[in-house]
Amino acid sequence: MENQTVLETIDPEIADRIVARSDEISQGASISAPLAAALALGSVPIALAALSKDVGAQSASDVVDVLQFALLLEYLEAEFYIKGTDAAGLIPAADRNIFLTLRGHEVTHYQTLRTLISAKGATPITKPTFDFTAKGAVPNPFAAGNYAVFQQLAMAFEDTGVRAYKGQAGRLINDKAILTAALTIHSVEARHASVIRRLRGKKGWIVGNSREDLPAFTQGIYDGEQNTVHSGTDAAALGTNNGGVNAVTEAFDEPLTKEQVTAIITPFLA
Amino acid sequence: MASNSTLVVSNAAQLGSARTRRDFLRIMGIGGTLVLLPSVLSSCSNNNNGIVDPGTGAGPGTGSTVTIDFSKGDIAVLQFAYALEQLEADFYTKVVAASSNLTAEERLVMADLKNHEIIHREFLKIALGTNASFSLTPTYPGVDFSNRTSVLATARTFEDLGVSAYNGAAQYLTSTANLLVAGKIVSVEGRHASAIRDLINPKSVDFAPSPFDDAFSPAKVAGAAQGFIVDKLAFANAPTAFVQGPNANG
Repeated sequence: MENQTVLETIDPEIADRIVARSDEISQGASISAPLAAALALGSVPIALAALSKDVGAQSASDVVDVLQFALLLEYLEAEFYIKGTDAAGLIPAADRNIFLTLRGHEVTHYQTLRTLISAKGATPITKPTFDFTAKGAVPNPFAAGNYAVFQQLAMAFEDTGVRAYKGQAGRLINDKAILTAALTIHSVEARHASVIRRLRGKKGWIVGNSREDLPAFTQGIYDGEQNTVHSGTDAAALGTNNGGVNAVTEAFDEPLTKEQVTAIITPFLA
Repeated sequence: MASNSTLVVSNAAQLGSARTRRDFLRIMGIGGTLVLLPSVLSSCSNNNNGIVDPGTGAGPGTGSTVTIDFSKGDIAVLQFAYALEQLEADFYTKVVAASSNLTAEERLVMADLKNHEIIHREFLKIALGTNASFSLTPTYPGVDFSNRTSVLATARTFEDLGVSAYNGAAQYLTSTANLLVAGKIVSVEGRHASAIRDLINPKSVDFAPSPFDDAFSPAKVAGAAQGFIVDKLAFANAPTAFVQGPNANG
């Protein structure tokens, strides 16, 4: 089909998607009857063919899974900003507009996600207990005098959020209402990331795979951001006379898989 | 004015008036609605009275017709994105080239945005191949490239519109690979929009005016973008269904 081929003539990411999908299957996600039959027969080509069809036809339970995953991230961000804006002597008066806005948005996001999950007939996950020191990796970000730590974590969480939503969009392609809702949150997370980064004196966009001045344990948030190949087309050369390869990496944000995001936020789960 | 968030333009001359330009930028900045009555396009095609752009001599919609045919599926969505990226890239190229009272910090941001939008445009051109055969002629009625306020307000309009356009058009993509590419670009547009808004009103709440960005239908985006394009932007086989985002204003 012509409309399937424009960016897919060479698609190195399809292997990743298939691997990600088969991981889910091995973890007990529902699979279609043809795929189950193909796997039972032990036929890799037939299974791959069935699997690629599954990728384009995600189930309702898959959509709920994405929403629950997003809800976890929004719980994390909302509690972080609630605690930060409630902490005495932490945020300078001049910066409070920004953080109060972030707080309000993340609370609205998690409330909206809970509503969407309930509307799908599922029960929203409950908010876990968070440890914002990442089990001692950073000082208490809410303690007076630790504003720099608080800002660093804000940048880390927002840049993670952008990549996390992006990585899940494909699983929503057949549910246009949820896809559109998720995308309108995704780009707001990007606005958040930009304002925090700029508040910290950094560019609003990610350069290569640089974590800037964040602690080393956050590097997973930025790994892969240096990619210049998008759907089989290498954009690296487009930087010539246009800011070089750094500008090319800035111009495209990259996705993270659910597994990668889980690894990033696990230290913050008490 | 029909309401505070809707601007109705009934003739071409109104598009060029200072009052309307201010309203346009203000309304697009708050996610409002621009209504171009049919009389605008008919008068545009007959003459360009009142909307002469000092740079090109041609007003919006007075040129040849560029048609995006949505029967081409994903290709049409990417062509639409290509059109918008052409507009943005041209705008920032002019901004960077012009003498203005932008601060040094603002000039650094503008230089980055110029690079990013050119890279987006050229990437889509490669991806579209023979389907990237059109080249739009932008026009900027009322924009004063020497004036910081005018430049930043126009940049904000473009960046917010870009975010809304990608968010709204994504629902027409059938390929997850194409959806991912659109996602890689739209968040960078969101980062841009935030930066521009923070330059206009530093450390205010303006960087993200809503918990949800807008998702605009292609028709709504085209209506807004047309004000900056000499060619007449047209759709064939435009989708009739549009799924609204949470702001329900697309």
